[in-house]
Amino acid sequence: MDDTRRQRTAECDCFELELAAYLEGESRPFVPAHLRECRFCKVVFEDLSRLRTLARELPLEEPSRAVWSNIRAQLATQRAFAETAGVWNWFWQWDFLRRPLPVATFACMLILGCWFTAPRNYPQPEPAASLAASRGETDLVRSMAFAGGATGLEQAVRELEAAFKARERSLAPDVKATYEHSLSSLDASIRECNDSLQREPGNSLAHEYLFAAYSQKAEVLSSALEIDEGR
Amino acid sequence: MADRHQQITKKATAMPFGLGIILCSLALPGILVAADGNRSEKTFETTPSPRVTVSNMTGQILVRGWDKPQVHILCTVISPRVEVDSEVLPPNELADKIHFSTHLLDPLTVGKDQTADYSLDVPMGSSLEIRNPQGSVRIEKLQSDDTSVETVGGAILISDFSGHLFVRSIGGNIDVTRASGRVEAYSITGDLHFVSPETSKLRATTTSGRIFFEGDFADGGDYSLSAYSGDMDIVCPRSASFELSAKTVRGKLENEMPMTIRHQPATPLSSANSLFGTHLTGKATVSLKSFSGTIRIRQR
Repeated sequence: MDDTRRQRTAECDCFELELAAYLEGESRPFVPAHLRECRFCKVVFEDLSRLRTLARELPLEEPSRAVWSNIRAQLATQRAFAETAGVWNWFWQWDFLRRPLPVATFACMLILGCWFTAPRNYPQPEPAASLAASRGETDLVRSMAFAGGATGLEQAVRELEAAFKARERSLAPDVKATYEHSLSSLDASIRECNDSLQREPGNSLAHEYLFAAYSQKAEVLSSALEIDEGR
Repeated sequence: MADRHQQITKKATAMPFGLGIILCSLALPGILVAADGNRSEKTFETTPSPRVTVSNMTGQILVRGWDKPQVHILCTVISPRVEVDSEVLPPNELADKIHFSTHLLDPLTVGKDQTADYSLDVPMGSSLEIRNPQGSVRIEKLQSDDTSVETVGGAILISDFSGHLFVRSIGGNIDVTRASGRVEAYSITGDLHFVSPETSKLRATTTSGRIFFEGDFADGGDYSLSAYSGDMDIVCPRSASFELSAKTVRGKLENEMPMTIRHQPATPLSSANSLFGTHLTGKATVSLKSFSGTIRIRQR
């Protein structure tokens, strides 16, 4: 009989069953005992040991971004991500907060709103020109405050307008027409209010409408930019 | 022999013709389906007052309230390159939030091909947030704590609504019929119509559009309507009880309601046309403003 021909025995089967545990460090006395008797199983053991040693020496490779994206997409389809409650997470769902121009616009409007509502001490008016303690007083205070705060809002609107002009070509024609029509209407109202205020600087209603027109123009431009960015 | 040949010839002629008929009749349903678009329908089990949000590009959105704790959607798209997604939270329980969004599988899809029409039946107490830039929105029979609707050019039609309603359109008209609760409506060039309002608080602003208000004022209600250059028509019953503050910079004021004129505030800084008065006992507060539009107050 050829000595090189392996004769598999029951001990060899038992050896294969216990080999993995032995290599993991578990106590398996049968394995080293069989290695002393069986040349072929000894060769198998030496090959596996060498593979383990070489595997430990291999450099760690970071998987490509596509791998993580695919894993994340798979997990998302399995709805593995629970929506965490929290004010901040709810707040951050508002997409427009991540865009600087609309955020700057709303920040300006918020500051101006605080400016309007902050209590102020004005000199007591002459009795002949006293105002009723009603909306008329409030309008006058707001109009005077607007005169001081208009510059910031105008600047914000100009920046939004420049951004809109740069991107208006990407809007659908009917959407673009709607925005242009509304902006034209608001520009006309701004011009009229300015004309009116040149003739009557203290016209509180004109002040109110001028501020409203600028605010609405900022909102319209922000809306147009959001639609464009959402495409 | 000749007869047999003729029979064979007739059969040979009839067969393609018959096959053509069969093929056309088979194709016809396919054409109808294609013409009908790609429809999808689904029902979600929900809590009694879920929050439903819809983000669409163009098309019609119809939302109706019903008395089932379910959201049922029927959606039709024209192009196979447009898809409607739904996201439900929580995923494996009764839905408390459902988000529907239309997105393009092919970014080169333009114009009418982007159309997705939605028909939604939602629980009466649902909160809605709908954005449909190039399409219209219609809402019927809802009792909602918080509903907001925004379009760019599309019309917004609301009827039989109670709760808090916020609607805004850049250029579309806004029609609100039989609404109660609190209503805010804003447009730049669109018209605003309020018919049979039962609201206790109404804010409406348009720049070049018109405002039309027909109905009574609720006791204790607060109504503020502002149009820049568009005209404003208020039609109310003889029995309406309200305190009026109406002013315009360059427009006209026309009033048919008998009023007890209040002392007008001395405002030497303003040359606005104005009218301050009380009709009957002045239970509601009504503020009307315009820059150059005409304000008309008429009796129904």
